[in-house]
Amino acid sequence: MEITVTGVNALTSPHLHIWDWRVSLYLFLGGLSAGLAVMTTILHLRQGGKLVKDEAAGYVAPILVPVILGIGMLFIFLDLERKLNVFWFYLTFQPLSPMSWGSWGLLVFFPVSGLLALATLPDNMLHWLLLEPLKQLAVRMRGYLFPLAAVNFAMGIFIGIYTGVLLSSFVARPLWNSAVLPVLFLTSAMSVGAALMIMIARTNKVKLFFTKIDIWMICGEMVILPLFFYGQYTSSGAHRDSILPFFSLSSEYFSYGCSMLVLFIIFPIALVLKMLEIKEEHGHTLTPMALAKMNLSAGIVLVGGLIIRLTFVYAGQLSKLS
Amino acid sequence: MPKYAMVIDQRRCVACMACVVACKNENEVPPDQYRTRVLEMVEGEFPLLRMELRSELCNHCDNPPCVYNCPTGASYKRKEDGIVLLRKNRCVGCKACVAACPYSARYINHEKGFADKCTFCDHRLKEGKEPACVATCIGKSRIFGDMDDPRSPVRVALQGSDATVLLEGAGTKPRVYYIKKFSKPE
Repeated sequence: MEITVTGVNALTSPHLHIWDWRVSLYLFLGGLSAGLAVMTTILHLRQGGKLVKDEAAGYVAPILVPVILGIGMLFIFLDLERKLNVFWFYLTFQPLSPMSWGSWGLLVFFPVSGLLALATLPDNMLHWLLLEPLKQLAVRMRGYLFPLAAVNFAMGIFIGIYTGVLLSSFVARPLWNSAVLPVLFLTSAMSVGAALMIMIARTNKVKLFFTKIDIWMICGEMVILPLFFYGQYTSSGAHRDSILPFFSLSSEYFSYGCSMLVLFIIFPIALVLKMLEIKEEHGHTLTPMALAKMNLSAGIVLVGGLIIRLTFVYAGQLSKLS
Repeated sequence: MPKYAMVIDQRRCVACMACVVACKNENEVPPDQYRTRVLEMVEGEFPLLRMELRSELCNHCDNPPCVYNCPTGASYKRKEDGIVLLRKNRCVGCKACVAACPYSARYINHEKGFADKCTFCDHRLKEGKEPACVATCIGKSRIFGDMDDPRSPVRVALQGSDATVLLEGAGTKPRVYYIKKFSKPE
Protein backbone atom coordinates (compact mmCIF):
# COMPACT_ATOMS: atom_id res chain seq x y z
CA MET A 1 0.00 0.00 0.00
CA GLU A 2 1.24 3.47 -0.85
CA ILE A 3 0.29 6.13 1.67
CA THR A 4 0.53 9.87 1.18
CA VAL A 5 -0.31 12.02 4.17
CA THR A 6 -0.94 15.73 4.05
CA GLY A 7 -0.67 17.31 7.45
CA VAL A 8 1.73 15.15 9.46
CA ASN A 9 3.49 16.38 12.55
CA ALA A 10 7.17 15.50 12.65
CA LEU A 11 6.81 14.70 16.36
CA THR A 12 4.49 11.76 15.75
CA SER A 13 5.16 10.66 12.18
CA PRO A 14 6.50 8.36 10.84
CA HIS A 15 6.89 7.36 14.46
CA LEU A 16 6.88 8.99 17.86
CA HIS A 17 10.01 10.75 18.97
CA ILE A 18 9.04 12.70 22.02
CA TRP A 19 11.32 11.26 24.68
CA ASP A 20 15.06 10.99 24.22
CA TRP A 21 18.16 10.15 26.25
CA ARG A 22 17.11 12.60 28.98
CA VAL A 23 14.07 10.49 29.86
CA SER A 24 16.12 7.29 29.55
CA LEU A 25 18.70 8.72 31.95
CA TYR A 26 15.96 9.85 34.33
CA LEU A 27 14.49 6.35 34.37
CA PHE A 28 17.94 4.85 34.87
CA LEU A 29 19.03 7.23 37.62
CA GLY A 30 15.60 7.04 39.28
CA GLY A 31 15.89 3.24 39.26
CA LEU A 32 19.49 3.40 40.49
CA SER A 33 18.63 5.65 43.41
CA ALA A 34 15.59 3.50 44.23
CA GLY A 35 17.68 0.32 44.18
CA LEU A 36 20.43 1.94 46.24
CA ALA A 37 17.83 3.13 48.78
CA VAL A 38 16.53 -0.42 49.21
CA MET A 39 20.08 -1.79 49.51
CA THR A 40 20.94 0.94 52.04
CA THR A 41 18.04 -0.12 54.22
CA ILE A 42 19.11 -3.76 53.96
CA LEU A 43 22.68 -2.77 54.87
CA HIS A 44 21.52 -0.93 57.98
CA LEU A 45 18.89 -3.36 59.20
CA ARG A 46 20.34 -6.73 58.22
CA GLN A 47 21.83 -8.76 61.08
CA GLY A 48 20.62 -6.17 63.58
CA GLY A 49 22.98 -3.53 62.17
CA LYS A 50 26.13 -5.69 62.43
CA LEU A 51 26.70 -5.60 58.67
CA VAL A 52 27.12 -1.83 58.60
CA LYS A 53 29.76 -1.77 61.35
CA ASP A 54 33.05 -0.24 60.10
CA GLU A 55 31.51 0.11 56.65
CA ALA A 56 31.86 3.41 54.80
CA ALA A 57 28.97 2.50 52.51
CA GLY A 58 26.76 2.88 55.58
CA TYR A 59 26.91 6.66 55.17
CA VAL A 60 28.16 7.04 51.57
CA ALA A 61 25.22 5.12 50.04
CA PRO A 62 22.51 7.16 51.82
CA ILE A 63 24.21 10.36 50.64
CA LEU A 64 24.36 9.09 47.07
CA VAL A 65 20.63 8.25 46.97
CA PRO A 66 19.29 11.85 46.96
CA VAL A 67 22.27 13.04 44.88
CA ILE A 68 21.60 10.49 42.10
CA LEU A 69 17.86 11.10 42.35
CA GLY A 70 18.42 14.86 42.09
CA ILE A 71 20.52 14.42 38.92
CA GLY A 72 17.80 12.19 37.46
CA MET A 73 15.11 14.74 38.29
CA LEU A 74 17.22 17.42 36.62
CA PHE A 75 17.15 15.41 33.38
CA ILE A 76 13.35 15.00 33.44
CA PHE A 77 13.03 18.70 34.21
CA LEU A 78 15.19 19.48 31.17
CA ASP A 79 12.80 17.41 29.05
CA LEU A 80 9.74 19.50 29.97
CA GLU A 81 8.64 21.90 27.24
CA ARG A 82 7.19 24.43 29.69
CA LYS A 83 9.56 24.37 32.62
CA LEU A 84 8.04 27.34 34.41
CA ASN A 85 4.76 25.42 34.79
CA VAL A 86 6.43 22.60 36.72
CA PHE A 87 4.68 23.69 39.94
CA TRP A 88 1.40 22.37 38.49
CA PHE A 89 2.61 18.84 39.28
CA TYR A 90 2.14 19.73 42.93
CA LEU A 91 -1.08 21.70 42.76
CA THR A 92 -3.09 18.67 41.72
CA PHE A 93 -3.18 14.90 42.06
CA GLN A 94 -4.38 12.85 39.11
CA PRO A 95 -5.02 9.29 40.34
CA LEU A 96 -5.03 7.77 36.85
CA SER A 97 -1.74 9.34 35.79
CA PRO A 98 1.41 7.39 36.75
CA MET A 99 3.42 10.58 36.21
CA SER A 100 1.33 12.31 38.87
CA TRP A 101 1.91 9.43 41.29
CA GLY A 102 5.61 9.59 40.46
CA SER A 103 5.96 13.32 40.98
CA TRP A 104 4.29 13.08 44.40
CA GLY A 105 6.31 9.96 45.20
CA LEU A 106 9.55 11.79 44.41
CA LEU A 107 8.44 14.60 46.68
CA VAL A 108 8.25 12.09 49.57
CA PHE A 109 11.29 10.03 48.56
CA PHE A 110 13.69 12.95 48.20
CA PRO A 111 13.39 14.35 51.78
CA VAL A 112 13.14 10.89 53.34
CA SER A 113 16.36 9.79 51.64
CA GLY A 114 17.95 13.09 52.70
CA LEU A 115 16.91 12.56 56.32
CA LEU A 116 18.28 9.00 56.25
CA ALA A 117 21.57 10.37 54.88
CA LEU A 118 21.71 12.75 57.86
CA ALA A 119 20.75 10.03 60.33
CA THR A 120 23.50 7.69 59.13
CA LEU A 121 26.26 10.30 59.17
CA PRO A 122 28.83 9.24 61.80
CA ASP A 123 30.14 11.66 64.45
CA ASN A 124 33.47 12.19 62.74
CA MET A 125 31.67 13.32 59.58
CA LEU A 126 29.29 15.78 61.20
CA HIS A 127 31.72 18.62 60.47
CA TRP A 128 30.73 18.21 56.78
CA LEU A 129 27.48 19.86 57.68
CA LEU A 130 28.18 23.56 57.57
CA LEU A 131 24.97 24.68 59.27
CA GLU A 132 24.44 24.11 62.96
CA PRO A 133 20.69 23.30 62.61
CA LEU A 134 21.61 20.55 60.14
CA LYS A 135 24.01 19.04 62.67
CA GLN A 136 21.28 19.11 65.31
CA LEU A 137 18.84 17.54 62.86
CA ALA A 138 21.34 14.80 62.00
CA VAL A 139 21.77 13.93 65.67
CA ARG A 140 18.02 13.99 66.27
CA MET A 141 17.31 11.78 63.23
CA ARG A 142 19.54 9.01 64.61
CA GLY A 143 16.69 8.13 66.93
CA TYR A 144 14.46 7.54 63.92
CA LEU A 145 16.87 5.39 61.92
CA PHE A 146 14.60 2.36 61.77
CA PRO A 147 11.41 4.12 60.62
CA LEU A 148 13.40 6.25 58.15
CA ALA A 149 15.07 3.15 56.73
CA ALA A 150 11.72 1.39 56.48
CA VAL A 151 10.10 4.31 54.63
CA ASN A 152 13.21 4.55 52.43
CA PHE A 153 12.80 0.86 51.56
CA ALA A 154 9.12 1.28 50.70
CA MET A 155 9.75 4.40 48.63
CA GLY A 156 12.64 2.66 46.86
CA ILE A 157 10.31 -0.13 45.77
CA PHE A 158 7.67 2.44 44.79
CA ILE A 159 10.03 4.52 42.64
CA GLY A 160 11.66 1.41 41.16
CA ILE A 161 8.33 0.05 40.00
CA TYR A 162 6.98 3.47 39.01
CA THR A 163 9.67 3.95 36.36
CA GLY A 164 8.19 0.93 34.59
CA VAL A 165 4.54 1.77 35.24
CA LEU A 166 5.15 5.19 33.68
CA LEU A 167 5.81 3.49 30.34
CA SER A 168 3.45 0.53 30.69
CA SER A 169 0.36 2.75 31.06
CA PHE A 170 0.39 3.79 27.39
CA VAL A 171 -2.12 1.67 25.50
CA ALA A 172 -0.98 3.37 22.29
CA ARG A 173 2.58 1.99 22.57
CA PRO A 174 2.45 -1.82 22.41
CA LEU A 175 6.07 -2.35 23.46
CA TRP A 176 5.54 -0.47 26.71
CA ASN A 177 1.99 -1.61 27.34
CA SER A 178 2.90 -4.73 29.30
CA ALA A 179 2.42 -5.54 32.98
CA VAL A 180 5.78 -7.31 32.92
CA LEU A 181 7.68 -4.08 32.17
CA PRO A 182 7.33 -2.58 35.70
CA VAL A 183 8.56 -5.88 37.18
CA LEU A 184 11.53 -5.86 34.80
CA PHE A 185 12.37 -2.26 35.67
CA LEU A 186 12.02 -2.95 39.40
CA THR A 187 14.31 -5.97 39.23
CA SER A 188 16.79 -4.01 37.14
CA ALA A 189 16.63 -1.13 39.65
CA MET A 190 17.42 -3.50 42.54
CA SER A 191 20.21 -5.09 40.52
CA VAL A 192 21.93 -1.79 39.66
CA GLY A 193 21.42 -0.63 43.26
CA ALA A 194 23.20 -3.73 44.56
CA ALA A 195 25.94 -3.26 41.93
CA LEU A 196 26.59 0.31 43.02
CA MET A 197 26.62 -0.81 46.66
CA ILE A 198 29.31 -3.38 45.77
CA MET A 199 31.38 -0.63 44.18
CA ILE A 200 31.20 1.75 47.14
CA ALA A 201 31.48 -0.84 49.95
CA ARG A 202 34.92 -1.24 51.51
CA THR A 203 34.66 -4.44 53.53
CA ASN A 204 34.71 -7.94 52.09
CA LYS A 205 31.63 -9.15 53.87
CA VAL A 206 29.47 -6.30 52.59
CA LYS A 207 30.76 -6.63 49.03
CA LEU A 208 30.12 -10.38 49.06
CA PHE A 209 26.72 -10.00 50.71
CA PHE A 210 25.52 -7.65 47.99
CA THR A 211 27.15 -9.80 45.32
CA LYS A 212 24.85 -12.60 46.46
CA ILE A 213 21.85 -10.28 46.27
CA ASP A 214 22.91 -9.13 42.81
CA ILE A 215 23.18 -12.74 41.61
CA TRP A 216 19.52 -13.26 42.48
CA MET A 217 18.54 -9.99 40.80
CA ILE A 218 20.46 -10.79 37.61
CA CYS A 219 18.84 -14.25 37.55
CA GLY A 220 15.49 -12.48 37.91
CA GLU A 221 16.26 -10.18 34.99
CA MET A 222 17.40 -13.11 32.86
CA VAL A 223 14.04 -14.80 33.49
CA ILE A 224 11.82 -11.71 33.20
CA LEU A 225 13.38 -10.37 29.99
CA PRO A 226 12.63 -13.50 27.89
CA LEU A 227 9.19 -13.73 29.54
CA PHE A 228 8.51 -10.15 28.49
CA PHE A 229 9.40 -10.97 24.88
CA TYR A 230 7.37 -14.19 25.04
CA GLY A 231 4.35 -12.25 26.31
CA GLN A 232 4.67 -9.71 23.52
CA TYR A 233 5.18 -12.39 20.86
CA THR A 234 2.08 -14.32 21.88
CA SER A 235 -0.06 -11.18 22.18
CA SER A 236 -1.68 -9.11 19.39
CA GLY A 237 -0.02 -8.40 16.05
CA ALA A 238 0.96 -4.90 17.18
CA HIS A 239 2.61 -6.31 20.31
CA ARG A 240 4.43 -8.91 18.26
CA ASP A 241 5.66 -6.28 15.80
CA SER A 242 6.80 -4.07 18.66
CA ILE A 243 9.62 -6.42 19.65
CA LEU A 244 10.90 -6.78 16.08
CA PRO A 245 13.63 -4.12 16.50
CA PHE A 246 15.27 -6.22 19.22
CA PHE A 247 15.57 -9.24 16.96
CA SER A 248 16.72 -7.60 13.77
CA LEU A 249 20.15 -6.51 12.66
CA SER A 250 18.88 -4.61 9.62
CA SER A 251 20.23 -1.10 9.17
CA GLU A 252 16.97 0.36 10.51
CA TYR A 253 17.08 -1.53 13.80
CA PHE A 254 20.81 -2.24 14.07
CA SER A 255 21.31 -0.43 17.38
CA TYR A 256 18.37 -2.27 19.00
CA GLY A 257 19.50 -5.67 17.76
CA CYS A 258 23.05 -4.99 18.96
CA SER A 259 21.77 -3.77 22.35
CA MET A 260 19.86 -6.99 22.86
CA LEU A 261 22.87 -9.06 21.82
CA VAL A 262 25.00 -7.12 24.30
CA LEU A 263 22.42 -7.71 27.07
CA PHE A 264 22.26 -11.42 26.32
CA ILE A 265 26.06 -11.56 26.53
CA ILE A 266 26.87 -9.26 29.44
CA PHE A 267 24.28 -10.51 31.92
CA PRO A 268 25.58 -14.10 31.84
CA ILE A 269 29.17 -12.78 32.02
CA ALA A 270 28.29 -10.67 35.07
CA LEU A 271 26.54 -13.66 36.60
CA VAL A 272 29.50 -15.99 36.09
CA LEU A 273 31.95 -13.41 37.44
CA LYS A 274 29.81 -12.93 40.53
CA MET A 275 29.45 -16.68 41.06
CA LEU A 276 33.24 -16.99 40.93
CA GLU A 277 33.61 -14.10 43.36
CA ILE A 278 31.52 -15.75 46.05
CA LYS A 279 33.17 -19.14 45.53
CA GLU A 280 36.69 -17.73 45.68
CA GLU A 281 38.57 -17.76 49.00
CA HIS A 282 39.14 -14.15 50.00
CA GLY A 283 41.53 -13.03 52.72
CA HIS A 284 40.85 -10.17 55.14
CA THR A 285 41.46 -7.66 52.37
CA LEU A 286 40.70 -8.15 48.73
CA THR A 287 43.55 -8.44 46.26
CA PRO A 288 43.63 -5.71 43.58
CA MET A 289 42.68 -8.37 41.00
CA ALA A 290 39.66 -9.54 43.01
CA LEU A 291 38.63 -5.95 43.56
CA ALA A 292 38.94 -5.18 39.84
CA LYS A 293 36.83 -8.22 38.97
CA MET A 294 34.14 -7.16 41.45
CA ASN A 295 34.07 -3.64 40.08
CA LEU A 296 34.03 -4.98 36.53
CA SER A 297 31.05 -7.24 37.13
CA ALA A 298 29.23 -4.43 38.98
CA GLY A 299 30.04 -2.02 36.15
CA ILE A 300 28.65 -4.52 33.63
CA VAL A 301 25.38 -4.65 35.58
CA LEU A 302 25.16 -0.84 35.58
CA VAL A 303 25.76 -0.73 31.82
CA GLY A 304 23.08 -3.42 31.36
CA GLY A 305 20.57 -1.34 33.35
CA LEU A 306 21.32 1.73 31.26
CA ILE A 307 20.99 -0.24 27.99
CA ILE A 308 17.57 -1.56 29.09
CA ARG A 309 16.26 1.97 29.72
CA LEU A 310 17.73 3.46 26.56
CA THR A 311 16.51 0.72 24.22
CA PHE A 312 13.05 0.43 25.74
CA VAL A 313 12.41 4.16 25.68
CA TYR A 314 13.49 4.48 22.05
CA ALA A 315 12.04 1.20 20.72
CA GLY A 316 8.70 1.85 22.43
CA GLN A 317 8.33 4.98 20.35
CA LEU A 318 8.67 2.95 17.15
CA SER A 319 5.68 0.82 18.12
CA LYS A 320 2.05 1.72 17.52
CA LEU A 321 -1.33 0.06 17.35
CA SER A 322 -2.12 0.65 13.68
CA MET B 1 -26.54 18.96 26.94
CA PRO B 2 -25.17 18.21 23.46
CA LYS B 3 -22.97 15.23 22.79
CA TYR B 4 -20.81 16.42 19.93
CA ALA B 5 -19.46 14.01 17.34
CA MET B 6 -18.12 14.08 13.81
CA VAL B 7 -18.77 11.82 10.87
CA ILE B 8 -16.23 11.54 8.07
CA ASP B 9 -18.04 10.30 4.98
CA GLN B 10 -15.03 8.97 3.11
CA ARG B 11 -17.13 8.40 0.00
CA ARG B 12 -17.48 12.13 -0.42
CA CYS B 13 -13.90 13.20 0.28
CA VAL B 14 -11.95 14.50 -2.74
CA ALA B 15 -8.71 15.21 -0.83
CA CYS B 16 -8.83 18.91 -1.64
CA MET B 17 -7.13 19.62 1.73
CA ALA B 18 -9.43 22.57 2.35
CA CYS B 19 -10.08 21.19 5.85
CA VAL B 20 -6.36 21.15 6.63
CA VAL B 21 -5.95 24.74 5.45
CA ALA B 22 -9.13 25.98 7.18
CA CYS B 23 -8.04 24.40 10.48
CA LYS B 24 -4.58 25.96 10.34
CA ASN B 25 -6.04 29.35 9.50
CA GLU B 26 -8.79 29.23 12.12
CA ASN B 27 -6.66 27.99 14.99
CA GLU B 28 -3.37 29.73 14.22
CA VAL B 29 -1.51 26.45 14.03
CA PRO B 30 2.26 26.97 13.50
CA PRO B 31 3.42 26.68 9.85
CA ASP B 32 4.79 23.12 9.86
CA GLN B 33 2.31 21.64 12.33
CA TYR B 34 -1.24 20.33 11.91
CA ARG B 35 -4.35 19.49 13.94
CA THR B 36 -5.90 17.48 11.14
CA ARG B 37 -4.52 15.52 8.20
CA VAL B 38 -5.69 13.67 5.12
CA LEU B 39 -4.39 10.21 4.24
CA GLU B 40 -4.39 9.01 0.65
CA MET B 41 -3.93 5.25 0.63
CA VAL B 42 -3.49 3.50 -2.70
CA GLU B 43 -3.62 -0.29 -2.83
CA GLY B 44 -3.72 -2.99 -5.46
CA GLU B 45 -1.74 -3.45 -8.65
CA PHE B 46 -2.10 -1.42 -11.80
CA PRO B 47 -4.61 -1.26 -13.41
CA LEU B 48 -6.68 -2.62 -10.51
CA LEU B 49 -6.01 0.22 -8.10
CA ARG B 50 -8.13 1.52 -5.29
CA MET B 51 -7.67 4.73 -3.34
CA GLU B 52 -8.98 5.42 0.13
CA LEU B 53 -9.08 8.99 1.38
CA ARG B 54 -9.32 9.46 5.10
CA SER B 55 -9.32 12.63 7.20
CA GLU B 56 -7.93 12.20 10.69
CA LEU B 57 -8.16 14.42 13.74
CA CYS B 58 -8.58 14.16 17.51
CA ASN B 59 -11.29 11.55 18.18
CA HIS B 60 -12.52 13.21 21.38
CA CYS B 61 -12.66 9.75 22.90
CA ASP B 62 -15.14 8.89 25.64
CA ASN B 63 -12.32 6.89 27.21
CA PRO B 64 -9.44 9.28 26.52
CA PRO B 65 -5.93 7.95 27.31
CA CYS B 66 -4.47 11.44 26.91
CA VAL B 67 -6.65 12.72 29.76
CA TYR B 68 -5.88 9.73 31.98
CA ASN B 69 -2.13 10.18 31.50
CA CYS B 70 -2.03 13.94 32.03
CA PRO B 71 -0.22 14.51 35.37
CA THR B 72 -1.48 18.06 35.92
CA GLY B 73 -5.11 17.87 34.85
CA ALA B 74 -4.35 20.16 31.90
CA SER B 75 -6.09 17.74 29.53
CA TYR B 76 -9.70 17.17 30.41
CA LYS B 77 -12.97 15.98 28.93
CA ARG B 78 -15.65 18.62 29.24
CA LYS B 79 -18.68 17.14 30.97
CA GLU B 80 -21.19 19.34 29.16
CA ASP B 81 -20.46 18.16 25.62
CA GLY B 82 -17.72 15.52 25.82
CA ILE B 83 -15.09 17.53 23.96
CA VAL B 84 -11.51 16.79 25.02
CA LEU B 85 -9.80 20.10 25.73
CA LEU B 86 -6.61 21.52 27.20
CA ARG B 87 -6.08 24.08 29.94
CA LYS B 88 -3.02 25.64 28.30
CA ASN B 89 -1.84 27.43 31.43
CA ARG B 90 -1.57 24.08 33.26
CA CYS B 91 0.33 22.17 30.57
CA VAL B 92 3.96 21.43 31.53
CA GLY B 93 4.86 19.94 28.16
CA CYS B 94 5.73 16.51 29.57
CA LYS B 95 4.43 14.90 26.35
CA ALA B 96 2.66 12.06 28.17
CA CYS B 97 -0.55 12.82 26.25
CA VAL B 98 1.31 12.73 22.92
CA ALA B 99 2.64 9.26 23.80
CA ALA B 100 -0.75 8.12 25.10
CA CYS B 101 -2.79 9.01 22.01
CA PRO B 102 -3.16 6.01 19.68
CA TYR B 103 -4.29 8.33 16.87
CA SER B 104 -1.21 10.61 16.88
CA ALA B 105 -3.62 13.50 17.24
CA ARG B 106 -1.50 15.58 19.56
CA TYR B 107 1.65 17.56 19.00
CA ILE B 108 3.73 20.02 20.96
CA ASN B 109 3.06 23.51 19.65
CA HIS B 110 6.66 24.51 19.08
CA GLU B 111 5.88 28.19 19.35
CA LYS B 112 4.14 27.96 22.73
CA GLY B 113 5.25 24.61 24.14
CA PHE B 114 1.87 23.13 25.09
CA ALA B 115 0.37 19.87 23.81
CA ASP B 116 -2.02 21.14 21.17
CA LYS B 117 -4.83 19.30 19.38
CA CYS B 118 -8.19 19.69 17.67
CA THR B 119 -10.87 21.26 19.86
CA PHE B 120 -13.78 20.79 17.41
CA CYS B 121 -13.30 24.60 17.07
CA ASP B 122 -14.74 25.13 20.53
CA HIS B 123 -14.68 28.92 20.06
CA ARG B 124 -16.86 28.61 16.94
CA LEU B 125 -19.30 26.24 18.65
CA LYS B 126 -19.88 28.91 21.30
CA GLU B 127 -20.97 31.24 18.49
CA GLY B 128 -23.32 28.61 17.08
CA LYS B 129 -21.04 27.84 14.13
CA GLU B 130 -19.68 24.52 12.88
CA PRO B 131 -15.99 23.65 13.18
CA ALA B 132 -13.95 25.38 10.44
CA CYS B 133 -13.08 22.10 8.68
CA VAL B 134 -16.76 21.16 8.48
CA ALA B 135 -17.87 24.59 7.28
CA THR B 136 -15.26 24.56 4.51
CA CYS B 137 -15.65 20.95 3.32
CA ILE B 138 -16.78 21.24 -0.31
CA GLY B 139 -17.79 17.60 -0.65
CA LYS B 140 -19.71 17.59 2.61
CA SER B 141 -17.48 14.76 3.72
CA ARG B 142 -17.08 16.18 7.21
CA ILE B 143 -20.34 16.22 9.13
CA PHE B 144 -20.73 17.58 12.65
CA GLY B 145 -23.51 17.60 15.18
CA ASP B 146 -25.11 16.44 18.40
CA MET B 147 -25.42 12.68 18.79
CA ASP B 148 -28.33 13.12 21.20
CA ASP B 149 -30.39 15.01 18.64
CA PRO B 150 -32.10 12.58 16.23
CA ARG B 151 -32.37 15.33 13.58
CA SER B 152 -28.74 16.39 13.74
CA PRO B 153 -26.62 15.84 10.59
CA VAL B 154 -24.43 13.24 12.32
CA ARG B 155 -27.39 11.10 13.37
CA VAL B 156 -28.88 11.34 9.89
CA ALA B 157 -25.56 10.45 8.27
CA LEU B 158 -25.02 7.46 10.56
CA GLN B 159 -28.50 6.07 10.02
CA GLY B 160 -28.30 2.85 8.05
CA SER B 161 -24.61 3.26 7.30
CA ASP B 162 -21.73 0.91 8.06
CA ALA B 163 -19.90 3.45 10.18
CA THR B 164 -16.72 2.44 11.93
CA VAL B 165 -14.28 4.11 14.28
CA LEU B 166 -10.49 4.01 14.16
CA LEU B 167 -8.71 1.41 16.31
CA GLU B 168 -11.92 0.18 17.89
CA GLY B 169 -9.97 -2.54 19.72
CA ALA B 170 -8.05 0.09 21.71
CA GLY B 171 -11.22 0.71 23.71
CA THR B 172 -11.00 4.49 23.54
CA LYS B 173 -14.59 4.91 22.29
CA PRO B 174 -13.91 7.61 19.68
CA ARG B 175 -16.48 10.22 18.71
CA VAL B 176 -15.29 10.50 15.15
CA TYR B 177 -17.06 8.00 12.89
CA TYR B 178 -16.03 6.91 9.42
CA ILE B 179 -18.40 5.89 6.64
CA LYS B 180 -16.28 3.96 4.21
CA LYS B 181 -18.54 1.57 2.34
CA PHE B 182 -21.53 2.25 0.14
CA SER B 183 -24.59 0.64 1.68
CA LYS B 184 -26.27 -2.22 -0.19
CA PRO B 185 -28.84 -1.13 -2.81
CA GLU B 186 -32.38 -1.64 -1.59
